[in-house]
Amino acid sequence: MKASYGDKVFYAVNYTVLTIIALTCLFPLVHIAALSLSDSSAIMSGLVTIWPKGWSLEAYGALLQGTNILGAFKNSLIITLVGVVLSMLLTTLAAYPLSRKYFYARKSFTLLMVFTMLFGAGMIPTYLVVKSLGLIDTYFALWLPGLISTYNMLVMKSFFENLPEELQEAARIDGCGEIKILARIILPLSLPMLATLSLFYGVQYWNAFMNVLIYINESDKYNLSVLVQQMVQSQSVMQELSDFQPEDIQNITPQSIKSAGVMVMVIPMLLVYPFLQKYFVKGVLIGSIKG
Amino acid sequence: MNTTMQPAQPNPIGEIQSGKHARQLQRSRRFKQNVPLLLMFLPVIIFYATFKYAPILGNVIAFKDYNFFDGIFGSPWVGLHNFELLFSQTQTVGIIRNTLLLSILQLIFGFPAPILLAILLNEARKMIFKRAVQTIVYLPHFFNWVIIGGIVLTIFSMESGFINHWIEKWTGEPYPFLYKAFSWIAIFISSGIWKEMGFGTIIYLAVITMINPSLYESASMDGANKFRQIWHITLPGIRPTIIILFILATGNIMEVGFDQVFMMQNPVVSNISEVISTYIYRVGLKGSQFSLSAAMGLFEALVGLVLVLSANWLARKFDQGLF
Repeated sequence: MKASYGDKVFYAVNYTVLTIIALTCLFPLVHIAALSLSDSSAIMSGLVTIWPKGWSLEAYGALLQGTNILGAFKNSLIITLVGVVLSMLLTTLAAYPLSRKYFYARKSFTLLMVFTMLFGAGMIPTYLVVKSLGLIDTYFALWLPGLISTYNMLVMKSFFENLPEELQEAARIDGCGEIKILARIILPLSLPMLATLSLFYGVQYWNAFMNVLIYINESDKYNLSVLVQQMVQSQSVMQELSDFQPEDIQNITPQSIKSAGVMVMVIPMLLVYPFLQKYFVKGVLIGSIKG
Repeated sequence: MNTTMQPAQPNPIGEIQSGKHARQLQRSRRFKQNVPLLLMFLPVIIFYATFKYAPILGNVIAFKDYNFFDGIFGSPWVGLHNFELLFSQTQTVGIIRNTLLLSILQLIFGFPAPILLAILLNEARKMIFKRAVQTIVYLPHFFNWVIIGGIVLTIFSMESGFINHWIEKWTGEPYPFLYKAFSWIAIFISSGIWKEMGFGTIIYLAVITMINPSLYESASMDGANKFRQIWHITLPGIRPTIIILFILATGNIMEVGFDQVFMMQNPVVSNISEVISTYIYRVGLKGSQFSLSAAMGLFEALVGLVLVLSANWLARKFDQGLF
């Protein structure tokens, strides 16, 4: 089919607008990356836009030596990995019984859980519970209050409900108990969904910010988010670098070191982004069709 | 209801007994099946009781004068005193106004953005181009507000941001983007759009692909240009999705994310940037006024619940209710 003149104009405009939108999404990241790699004189004179001027890795060097960014990175990894395992375990323990039609009171339990999505307990009462359990300054304060995301649980439950019954019946006749059915039949059939939900939880734990701010006071237990937040909002980030030697860091500026801090958070995300994109798109669609 | 009962079929006695027996057997079988399930479910019950329902009950401190020594149960009751105190402060009204203002602006500007982008993406015929744009625009969704806040503070900063470098060249002096109410709000809203616009297209794109392509063909035969096709086919096709998502979004109008405000806030604009969540953090957790801030939290949660329920009631009118 031949495109009419009007349609040609439409396509030209469409491609232009989409290109502009894509560039707008990309530009801030490229700019920050360029800042983190530029030397101080280029930054001070405002020459840096999308390409580093006067290549310099010193901002990253200062970050590694002067701040606890490696420790914070390790903390973020621990929070994420342990958190995903705990959350997936508990979410499965919730979703499997609720997906069985013969489970007592499944309707009431589901209702009670959905209610917590509509009526949040609030920051203060949750804080008081966490505090009274003695969890302040431990990572359990980050893992336990959000152990099950009710939304993720509902996605998993409806996935389990839609698995074919025949295999499960056959296994039951062969004498498999509930745990065996779950482990040998249900879970192996659900691997893509499990991967999707693990990534949902993973991104949530990796990006954890407010909870760390509230529950963790000891600075060597901070994750990357809070460490970088304190750097970014600091008025005196240069003075806060430990082993501060004016001559060592004359080639870096507050902007380059803040940008480098942001990049340390961006880069791991970019590395796993191919997986994230693939599974998140799937997950959004599962969740929206049956929620 | 049908009030006239069908007369029961006369059953031979043996069949009744076997039916009774089968029911008993079934019941005991169901019980046996339930034992491992209940054991599995026990930690889940403990979790919801401890971290969801105990804090919901903990909201009673909004009606008490909470102190650490007496705890939640021992602290003295004060009735509605905390609410009276809260709403007698002029600051409170401002905070609620800010919360509503920011979230309504987010809704007005942020809600249509993914719809427009999804329509444009759907019209991009070169698959490689479409995929590339999708990959790029989904990316910001995965960044948290520390990253985006860091980027915003860097780009718009007075001393060193490159935008102000250009402005300084043209006008001679930098513009305090983050210290003026209007530009702060504009940056706040657009950074939210920047983060979520791309990711929001996923659901619309999925719905658009379900529209029958023959509709477009016949429209095009009839001489409808691209704009008319979008207006008369694409938009009506995604209308139910738009309605349900809009209603859900209005249900969340009492919530402005803590992280975003916390990252972008500064003392100069605090009279327009302080929202309920940051107030609770500052006054409750940092200022230890637990009862007062719990009253604010409870107020927010109750209004939120009413909004969600009425949004769902509205959605049911469109046959789109969620529960």
